[in-house]
Amino acid sequence: MMARLDRLERVTDLLLVLLDTPRPLSLREIADRVPGYPEGHAARRQAFERDKRLLRDEGVPVLAEALEGHDQVGYRADPDAYFLADLGLDQDEQAALNLAVAGVHLGGPTGRAALSKLGATGEPPLLAAPSMPVVDLPSMTQLPALPVLFDAVRQSATVSFLYRGNTRHVDVGAIRFRRGHWYMVGFDRDRGEARTFRVDRVESLPEVGPPSSGQLPDGFDPADTFSVDPWRFGSGEEIDVDVLVDPAEAGRVIGELGEGAVVERRDDGTVVVRLAVTDQQALVTWVLDWLDHAEVLGPPEVRTAVIDRLASIVGPGGSAGR
Amino acid sequence: MSIPTDTAGRLRQLLAILAWLAQVGEAPVDELATRFGLTPEALVTELELAACCGLPPYTPDQLMEIVVTDTTVSTRLGSALSRPRRLSPAEGFALAASARGLLAVPGSDEDGALSRALGKLETALGPERLVIDLDTPPMLAIVSGAAAAGESLEIHYYSASSDHQSEREITPLRVFASEGHWYVDATCSQAGDVRRFRIDRIDMARVIEGSGGVGEHPGMDNEPSGFEAFVPGPDTRQVRLSLDPALAWMVESIPTVAPVERVNDHLVVEVVVGGDAWLERLLLRLGTGATVVDPSEDAGLAAEAAARILLRYGVDIKNKEK
Repeated sequence: MMARLDRLERVTDLLLVLLDTPRPLSLREIADRVPGYPEGHAARRQAFERDKRLLRDEGVPVLAEALEGHDQVGYRADPDAYFLADLGLDQDEQAALNLAVAGVHLGGPTGRAALSKLGATGEPPLLAAPSMPVVDLPSMTQLPALPVLFDAVRQSATVSFLYRGNTRHVDVGAIRFRRGHWYMVGFDRDRGEARTFRVDRVESLPEVGPPSSGQLPDGFDPADTFSVDPWRFGSGEEIDVDVLVDPAEAGRVIGELGEGAVVERRDDGTVVVRLAVTDQQALVTWVLDWLDHAEVLGPPEVRTAVIDRLASIVGPGGSAGR
Repeated sequence: MSIPTDTAGRLRQLLAILAWLAQVGEAPVDELATRFGLTPEALVTELELAACCGLPPYTPDQLMEIVVTDTTVSTRLGSALSRPRRLSPAEGFALAASARGLLAVPGSDEDGALSRALGKLETALGPERLVIDLDTPPMLAIVSGAAAAGESLEIHYYSASSDHQSEREITPLRVFASEGHWYVDATCSQAGDVRRFRIDRIDMARVIEGSGGVGEHPGMDNEPSGFEAFVPGPDTRQVRLSLDPALAWMVESIPTVAPVERVNDHLVVEVVVGGDAWLERLLLRLGTGATVVDPSEDAGLAAEAAARILLRYGVDIKNKEK
């Protein structure tokens, strides 16, 4: 119990000393200034390394720099990276941010913590006006990779993470929300091309490279690459698939795909849409979601894929008529 | 919030308390303790420890000025630890996503205070490149307008869960976006109760003359802040599904009411179903790995739906019906 109490005090003192010093301090100088480090070089080094790791894990930018004239490293914390810069928000802007945090739900108190750092004392509790539309985004707490990827954009840093069983090295172009999911658009270094990744399918916490390590190709426009359509996430050859949609669902299908997908409009309101497909099974799933309001017209192999999927669901008992 | 026992957690909490205290100057011990989820005794212990921290030579002018009396805590600005810290990646993301989310609402002021605030955040923290796309269903404006004015609407609504069109009179209470779609909670004259409607499924909406400003909105006072896209109502039923373990990843996207059980290598989940069409979609998506365990009359639903859709493809799998 006593030892733990000592460590918080030591770590707090260490933080104050590292923030205060204008030049890097050697371990000996640090031990002179911060009470509580053990005697003996090895034990002292070990205790300091633990404290340094704790501070870095807590986001304290502890810098290790070569000491002049010595074959030694010194330490300091970068105050510019530790303290919040003055944003110069006026009252209207502060109020607008408060409203945004109240009206957009991200599944946690993080936004309010940020506001409080910006100077909002936040009493009484923030509430959205009842008549204001509320936007509910997927909970951040379920998506630990999301803020890390966002921060990589800020730092123009490259990231690596596990995705569909492979490690990907990506220069992050943009973070984008659409139709219920968060996506990251970036330049995939291993594949040498732009790709869209679904953030909820990132399987590891991304490792972020040093600032400015991400080099997006000249003229890279995340909007050009961005695609959320599940049938475009495959690695198969791209084929055009025509889907007929009857009037009951035509409006909603066009709302989802855009007018550009429509290749034929019939007098009764039926439409035919054309989709560029790289993942046939994903397309079949999407078509079946419209039940008997949608039908794949061609090519024949995709039509057959729909029929096979349906026949497997009917099962052997119903297959007498085939 | 519980009392952290590790040094990192205690440091994080201490820094949060000090930053808060620096903003308000002085606070009652009880209030501060409640705010940070501590007992008053634990709070005083931590603050007394912090009061001993400072810079060498640890003379009183170099210690943090924290004064703890029987009932209040006060501090004076000046210590490094009372200045706001830089936003964490999660906090930076939460602010940007909230602001972008609100700006994505159709009709928001794109040149207003919120945009200016975002610009200042970007200047101070680095480029953001965050895009939030929200759909703009054709009837969104009229429904939002009615919600704000307390007006009633006559609507034509296509229900996906029962797959048919109906005419209703509704009084919108609250409009919100969730999982990529816009919804309105409204009292519905047909159901005699509050119902949730997907706005892109409203094909026609007309304001009922003279219906505006009918006093208080019922049920608006303590709205829960969770927006599941599916609200169980009196017409819903519960269905038990047995799933192949390979489909386990899909369970998270299904609104289940009971915790997942494991029976003979299969997962059994209880799903809230709003109508046959809804259940058909789910079963078609799950494919052959899912079967309805209970009620037994739903056991053949997937096969019937598949056979019905197959008719569109010219396959009469039941043979005898036609």
